[in-house]
Amino acid sequence: MNVSSQAAITWDDVEVGYELPILDRKITAALVVGGAISATHDYAEVHHDYHAARKAGADNVFMNILTTNGLIGKYLTDWSGPTGEIKSIVLRLAVPNYPGDTMTFCGSVIQKYQVDEQNLVEVEFTGRNSLGNHAAGKAVIALPRR
Amino acid sequence: MPLTEEKLKQFVGIDSELIEGPDTVCKEMIRHWCEVMEDTNPLYQDEEYAQKSQFGGIIAPPMQVQVYTMSPLWPKADREPNSMELLVEELASQGYTSIVATEQGQEYFAPMKLGDRISYTISVDKISPEKQTVRGPGYFVTFLYKFYNQREELVCKQTFTILAYNAISKE
Repeated sequence: MNVSSQAAITWDDVEVGYELPILDRKITAALVVGGAISATHDYAEVHHDYHAARKAGADNVFMNILTTNGLIGKYLTDWSGPTGEIKSIVLRLAVPNYPGDTMTFCGSVIQKYQVDEQNLVEVEFTGRNSLGNHAAGKAVIALPRR
Repeated sequence: MPLTEEKLKQFVGIDSELIEGPDTVCKEMIRHWCEVMEDTNPLYQDEEYAQKSQFGGIIAPPMQVQVYTMSPLWPKADREPNSMELLVEELASQGYTSIVATEQGQEYFAPMKLGDRISYTISVDKISPEKQTVRGPGYFVTFLYKFYNQREELVCKQTFTILAYNAISKE
């Protein structure tokens, strides 16, 4: 695998109000079930068993929060490049991600600051599907200087 | 049936013992994670790149920390239940048998390197009064996790909120 040529965003490139590129992700059954069992080792039935999900009041199996968190992390470093270091992610879930939907990520820089010689930006993000906001939250990323 | 505030308070603020995760930070689990996420960050899988980076080698995605500590499906962990498990059991015994996560907050410290062993402590931070939700009546419960590596360095502090509810079934 050679993806080392990924563009690196520097702290100097970014101002408050800067918008991250939009990213669409198809929510397949493989992503929901594989996200739960393979990627995050979460065997809660609502993420892989249709009838269990229905009994729990959902329409179908739905994505677990650890997968959502992982997809947000990927979204952030896809943008920043590997020299961007995620310091924190805080997310809140609203509507579920069901198979067959698409989630659209967007984000913008809401703060730019320096602490302990680290050059930080705070990004506000949302992951939206056809039902509304699946996830919304904030993340802090350390970026290199130009 | 709603639980009394007094009953619920018994579960709050008790740190669990340090619980060691079943899996070591490894290339295979990183690959399974990246495969599903479609994450191409070279720090996670490109040894040549990672060696030249500030980390000096492959690191696991920081978001993956909890995965190394997830309870196995089988066999069940052989230890005393912690306050989170006791609370979930108590809520279930009163009919709040369904659980969905609603919030997760992670703050990252030491990076996870290949061969690291991740352990954690957990406590119940707060419990809401009974709320009426679209899925049925339930309680929002927030847990605090602290994840450490085998060098006793803090890897991640996490808040994790669930809704434990009495579901309105769609079956």
